[in-house]
Amino acid sequence: MGSGYDVVVIGAGLGGLSAAAVLARKGRSVLCLERNSVPGGYAGSFVRGRYEFEIGLHELSGMGTAAEPGPLHQIFDELGMLDELEFCEIPEVFRSIFPGIDITLPVGWEAYEHTLCEAFPHERRGIHAFVGRCHALQREVRFFSDLNLLDGPPSPAQVLQLPWKSRYIARFGQVSFASVLERDIEDPRLRAVICQLWGYVGQPPSRASFLLLGACLGAYVGYGPRYVKGRSASLAMAYARGIERLGGELRLGCGVERVLVEGGRATGVITDHGEEITAGAVISNLDPSSTCRDLLGVDQVPDRYWRRLQQCSVGPSSFNVYMGLARTPAQLGLDEHEVFVNSNLDLESQYIECRDLPDLFDPSPPSSPCVSLTCYNKADPDISPPGTSILMLTTLMFGHHWHDVPPQDYVQVKNRVAGAMLDRVETEFPGLRDAAEVLEVSTPVTNMRYAHQVDGAVYGYEQLPFNSTVYRLPHEGPLRGLYFAGAFTSPGGGFELAITSGYLTAIKAARSLPRRAGG
Amino acid sequence: MTVADFFRDVGDCVRTFLEHRELAQPGRGVDHADPGDVARTRRTVAAIHPDQMTLRVVEVIRTSPTSRSFRFERTDGELPPFRAGQYISLQCSIGDVRTARPYTISSPPGSSLLEITVRDRADGFVAPFLLQRIEPGDELVSSGPLGHFHHEPLIDGDDLVFLAGGCGITPFTSIIREQQQLGWPLRVTLLYGCRTPGAIIHGDELRALARHSERFHCAMVFSDADPGFEGPTGFIDAAMIRREVDRLDGRTWYLCGPPPMLRYCRDTLSSLGIPPERIRQELSGPPADIADAEGWPVDLSPDEEFTAEIDGRSFPVTAGESLLCALERHGVVVPNQCRSGECSACRTRLLSGNVFTAPPDGRREADAASGFIHACDSYPLSDVQLGLG
Repeated sequence: MGSGYDVVVIGAGLGGLSAAAVLARKGRSVLCLERNSVPGGYAGSFVRGRYEFEIGLHELSGMGTAAEPGPLHQIFDELGMLDELEFCEIPEVFRSIFPGIDITLPVGWEAYEHTLCEAFPHERRGIHAFVGRCHALQREVRFFSDLNLLDGPPSPAQVLQLPWKSRYIARFGQVSFASVLERDIEDPRLRAVICQLWGYVGQPPSRASFLLLGACLGAYVGYGPRYVKGRSASLAMAYARGIERLGGELRLGCGVERVLVEGGRATGVITDHGEEITAGAVISNLDPSSTCRDLLGVDQVPDRYWRRLQQCSVGPSSFNVYMGLARTPAQLGLDEHEVFVNSNLDLESQYIECRDLPDLFDPSPPSSPCVSLTCYNKADPDISPPGTSILMLTTLMFGHHWHDVPPQDYVQVKNRVAGAMLDRVETEFPGLRDAAEVLEVSTPVTNMRYAHQVDGAVYGYEQLPFNSTVYRLPHEGPLRGLYFAGAFTSPGGGFELAITSGYLTAIKAARSLPRRAGG
Repeated sequence: MTVADFFRDVGDCVRTFLEHRELAQPGRGVDHADPGDVARTRRTVAAIHPDQMTLRVVEVIRTSPTSRSFRFERTDGELPPFRAGQYISLQCSIGDVRTARPYTISSPPGSSLLEITVRDRADGFVAPFLLQRIEPGDELVSSGPLGHFHHEPLIDGDDLVFLAGGCGITPFTSIIREQQQLGWPLRVTLLYGCRTPGAIIHGDELRALARHSERFHCAMVFSDADPGFEGPTGFIDAAMIRREVDRLDGRTWYLCGPPPMLRYCRDTLSSLGIPPERIRQELSGPPADIADAEGWPVDLSPDEEFTAEIDGRSFPVTAGESLLCALERHGVVVPNQCRSGECSACRTRLLSGNVFTAPPDGRREADAASGFIHACDSYPLSDVQLGLG
């Protein structure tokens, strides 16, 4: 291999960091290249005046506790990162405000079921059946995360248990969440409350599999959401330190121009400094569409892979308003970490609206079908100076609309959308604007600028039943020796899944390499 | 699972499968059959947030005895949109040193030329180079527009007071020129403090605009005027603010100028009862004398010499010079933008040794905890080992 590495990882987003750390832990020589001056991608923060804002993390799923560890807990443990991270417990899953309903959902299946039954006593039986299914899914996902693939393939006993232990996963992998929910629940208000977290996967119940949305619900209700002390930048930095502690390298401020190909195999990369780095395998944390077009070149990609990508439509991006306010959360009337403010009960139409509607040239203010309001001081009271608070307003929005915005209208369009979101949220929590000391808006273009993913997609390709979880675009790329890690490949988008994707990719890439001498 | 359940699952699977095509909607977002479609992401970012711009000097205008305005056209694309008050980071190679300086754009958004205004400083490095060496026809490279000091219609309201000191007038010039073009949708009061009447930048233009608009009021004050000077003297203080600003509440206050002026004005506004959420403050750049900064170890002379080590090279540094300047002076290229401690472009790893971080510390909490510094506002307090990237 000469001066090369076993593996070069392109991009230090969560998928890339996770893959690099796992490879280093497996004793492989790994170099992770990141174009930006900080690692982490959406796991990061930025400073404005006396405030430091979280970029992308609302609530971290799948953590659990040492006694009841979730999938992420296992991964961080295997990489020796738990000592460096401190997690803030969030007491509730979230609060959901719909016209006519205002409900705060607690952590834990029993409390969750109880709260739903109190609010919707006529649906008691259905709620019980539904919660049972989700709980069962969570147990099955747990079985897989307990396999510890890092130290070798599962034992024969585990393999024998697989069919039985994955029966819900098999049953519900291709069934839409909506069709399962319809069996148990009649009341459209209750359906809306249960499906509220569609925003965490970017697909409404009719377009998400029961496996995806149910497991997501399980990861939040079952394990309880967490926030990271020091913001998600701490998570990225813990990964960065972990990679180096385990013998890997992370190079910042160094992008990749091309993936080197020899005899139909990826053999390394050329950096934007013109340096050629050879490697036994290349893992791209950049989305497959951009990797194929920009780093490989159209001719290097077999037609069948383009056809495969043809089935992958790009998922939603996000639009955020970050606010630093010179008021305490109590003064603002905020009691929860995460509040969803909905204009209607119809989540399907919320999705259609964020995909098709935003006519960004329409001078009338756009409607904001659903805005989430995150008050980070509820999870971490020390996150901003005493007497102040940090808020983030988020709505999902497809990025491709923004290609059509003329540059000279960009600021105006962005402020119109942000204004509509503020209007919406201020109907429930008045006075936010008056108390704001700092306000920053990020659009899908901002996501494109910093994360470089196609159309600024935050959850990768649309997580439709046939393209999510185990059915999602595989980690293996169009050429031998080329892999993908991150939200665009299995199992999918969001912090927990992007980290899992990197973890699984690294194990596959390591398996493809020649055995290490003495290893 | 009952038999009925089984059939229902199978039925639902089939249903989802049949909806497969309809759900996929290929081409929604990106059409992979047309690889150029993927490139839209890159094009959109380049049009709105270019990493780099090549600027050709079209005109150099004398704006005061000690300052010049440079007007540029962009040669590698259209000028991107920006907000009045933002800056560009202008790169220069002077001798063996590659460095950059943030300069506020003083032209209004939408103009075909981009203007910056540079004041000569006796102790300057880049300013004298620009003023003496750069002529029409020369090309320079800059970043795209950056920075967060601008009017934010979402929270700032339309009744503004600007407090400017010295060359801190430039962002306000851009905002005021834009207002003039738009017909003054905002009501603006500008209080402008300079050392001497000769140091005023854009003075005639501002006075003329104030004469012609009821929505714009402008008052100036001089701290070092000649003994015979008959105009207002002193600083922008509480008395001047009370005199010139007709109403204190319900307005948003913007501060831009040298660090001592910012500190003084901030305290004055607090004493006048202006709450923090009504005050916006531009970054202030490095302090003129770091030994005056809050928290500086009193027993350490800024002239104290130490050794800095980076990439296997080592060279002497002094406590009173920021590590960014010291590195650049020894030929190390460090990415940088704001040079005021906030943007994190010059994020550098401190492998060993101690530094003083000039307040306010603009580092991310996770960086500070992991031994990272911003080279632009870090001053060595011992021998230091640094790492880039």
